[in-house]
Amino acid sequence: MILTLQTPRPLSRLPRFLPFSTNASITLNQSQPATCTSPPPPHSQILSTRHSLLSRQFSAADLLRSHLNRLNLTEPHLRSFLHLPDPSDLLAQADSLDRRIAAGEDVGPLAGVLVAVKDNICTADMPSTGGSRILEGYRPPFDATAVKRAKELGAIVVGKTNLDEFGMGSTTEGSAFQVTANPWDLSRVPGGSSGGSAAAVSARQCVVSLGSDTGGSVRQPASFCGVVGLKPTYGRVSRFGLMAYASSLDTIGCFGSSVADAGILLHAISGHDRFDATSSNQDVPNFLSHFVSASSFESKPLKGLRVGLIRETIGDGVDAGVISAIHSAASHFEELGCSVNEVSLPSFSLGLPAYYILASSESSSNLSRYDGIRYGNQVYADELDSLYGSSRANGFGSEVKMRILMGTYALSAGYYDAYYKRAQQVRTIIRNSFTEALNQNDILISPAAPSPAYKIGEKKNDPLAMYAGDIMTVNVNLAGLPALVLPCGFVEGGTAGLPIGLQMIGAAFGEEELLRVGHIFEQTLENCRFVPPIIAEDIAS
Amino acid sequence: MGGVGAMVKGASYSYAVFCGSFLRSPRLSFSIHNKKKKLLKFRSFSSKSTCSSLQPPDVSRLAKTAQISLTPDEIEEFAPKIQQVIDWFGQLQDVDLQSVEPSIRAETENNLRDNVPETFDHRDAMIGAVPSYEDPYIKVPRVLSMD
Repeated sequence: MILTLQTPRPLSRLPRFLPFSTNASITLNQSQPATCTSPPPPHSQILSTRHSLLSRQFSAADLLRSHLNRLNLTEPHLRSFLHLPDPSDLLAQADSLDRRIAAGEDVGPLAGVLVAVKDNICTADMPSTGGSRILEGYRPPFDATAVKRAKELGAIVVGKTNLDEFGMGSTTEGSAFQVTANPWDLSRVPGGSSGGSAAAVSARQCVVSLGSDTGGSVRQPASFCGVVGLKPTYGRVSRFGLMAYASSLDTIGCFGSSVADAGILLHAISGHDRFDATSSNQDVPNFLSHFVSASSFESKPLKGLRVGLIRETIGDGVDAGVISAIHSAASHFEELGCSVNEVSLPSFSLGLPAYYILASSESSSNLSRYDGIRYGNQVYADELDSLYGSSRANGFGSEVKMRILMGTYALSAGYYDAYYKRAQQVRTIIRNSFTEALNQNDILISPAAPSPAYKIGEKKNDPLAMYAGDIMTVNVNLAGLPALVLPCGFVEGGTAGLPIGLQMIGAAFGEEELLRVGHIFEQTLENCRFVPPIIAEDIAS
Repeated sequence: MGGVGAMVKGASYSYAVFCGSFLRSPRLSFSIHNKKKKLLKFRSFSSKSTCSSLQPPDVSRLAKTAQISLTPDEIEEFAPKIQQVIDWFGQLQDVDLQSVEPSIRAETENNLRDNVPETFDHRDAMIGAVPSYEDPYIKVPRVLSMD
C-alpha cells in the first residue's frame, strides 16, 4: 500500500469542500512571473480563518468538517494522533462559536482554530498518555495552562498527538503505541519527540499544534516536516501540565504552517503563571503587529540586521545538501539587507554530552513519580518494592528505562561531581558563549538538524547515532534561549524532495524580533511552497 | 544567486533555480549514517585514563536503585549501550572547568507564590485516577520486606 501512495498522485478523493487558503498569496506559485500584481495578505491560516469567519464567508462548522475530512483520509497513512475525540463534541463547539459570531459577540483571536496537542501536555477531557503504557488510559484532572489559555481564546482542541515516550527520542519511533510517518515520505520519520504535532500541521490535519522542546523536540520535527517550529525562552510559557522530562530544559513550543500562525499561538499561551515557579513575569509584547503583508515591506526590510552563521554547524558531519540550503538562506538574508558573518562558538560540541547528562539525570528523578500508586497502570505485587519494580518495568519502554538508568548512574553518590556538576559548568560556558555571540549579532542562524528526515528504523538500535542528530538544537535549551525554525529549502528524497529547516536563535525573551525577522524571511521566500505531496492536490484549489 | 542590488522579488528567481537544482541533482543521495558516525568519532574521547576512579555502570544495581525490575535479557541488551553512552559522557572529564560556576538552569526570576493553601476543584477526578483506592485510603501492599 505504501508503494501506491509513493506515486506523485495524492489522495484524489479529498473533497474540495472549501478553498483551503483564501489569501491572494496563493496565486504566487510557480506558474506566475516573479513580480506581484495585487497586494496579498500575509500567509497565515489563523488570520484568514478569522477574516472568513467574521465576514461570514464560511462557518466554523464548515471549516471543522473540511479539516476532519482531510484528517480522516490522511490519518491511516500518517498516524499522527493517539486520541481523537468524538466529532460531534467538536461540532458542538464549532456550532456554539457560529452562534456567537452571528449574534455579533466578540470572539477570541483563536476562534475556530483547530489545535492539536502533544500527548505529554495534560488535557482534562482527553486521555494524556505521554506516549507511554504506564499512563495508558490516564485522564488528568486538569488542563495544562497552555491548553487552558488556547481554549479561552477560542481554540478547538482537535486531538492528542503522538510522541516519543515522555519526550525521550528524536524520531517518534519511541512511542509505545504507533509510529508516525512523515507526510513528505511515508517511509521516513517525522522527527521527534513532537513528531505527531509536526506531521499534523504539515498534512494540514489541523491548523496549529502544541509540542514540547527539551533538546530540539519542536525544532527538529519542524525541519523534517517542512513546517514552522517555535521554541520560546525558558520561562516564557508555563510548564504547568507538561509532563516533566528535564525540568531545567523543558519548554512548550508551537507549530504552524507559517511564522505568523506559530507566533499567534505563542502569544496566546505566553505569560506568567502562578502554578509554575519558573515562569517569567516579563511582559508579553504584541507579536501580532509584525505579521503584515509583504507588499508593505521596504526594499531592504532587514537593513542593518546582523546575522551570525554558527561556523560549527556547517562543517563535518552535516549533509552537503543541508549546508547548501543554509548558505542560500544566508544569501537571502543578505538580499534583505542583512550583514551575514560567520561566528564561532568554540564550546559548541560539548553541549551534546552535557545535555544528555543533565536530561537523563533530571528525567531519572522526574519519572520516579510513575510508581503505579496514585495514577497510571499498576502491576500488583505482594510487596511494595516489587509493585514499583513491576509496574515500572511493564509500563516504560526501552529508551526510557535506559535513560533512567544512565541518569541514576550519573547522580549516584560520589559521581555527581564527575558528571552532573561538570555538565552544569559546561552549561555556564555555553550560555556565556551565546551571550557574547548575541552581543555582536542580532540573531544567530544554523541548520535545525544535520540531515533531512531519516528512514523509519534507521536509528533504532544505535543510541549515540540518534543523539548525534540533536547537535544543532541542544545548546539552545542549555542556554534557555528562544529559537524559530522555518523551512528554507529542499534536498532530494521522497517524491517531491525533503524539506530542510533553518534555525534562527535570538536573545532571551527576544521572540518578538525572531518572529518579525522570520516573517519577513518567509514572506519573501517565493516559489518554495512547503506542502507535502500527500495533500498537494487538495491545497492547490 | 541574485545580485546584491536586486529587489527581493528578484531573489525569488534564484530560489526557484536553487530548489530546482536540488531536485534534479543526483549527487545528493549519500549515506547519512556514515556522516553521523564521523561526527561522533571526532567528538568522543577515551575516558579510560582519566576516570579510573569511577566504577563502570552495574546495570542490575542501577535498576534496583531506580526501582525498575529488569529481565536478564534486558540487562544484557542495555549494558553495552549504557556503557557506550557513559563512556561518551566521559569526554567532559578532559575539559578545563576550573573556576566555572555551575548553572542550575537558564536565568529566571524567583517567582514563588504566597504560601496559602487552596482547594483543588477536581478532587474526585484525581481520586478517580488512583488504581487501588478504598475510601479514604490509597491501598498499597505490605511496605516492609524481610530480606
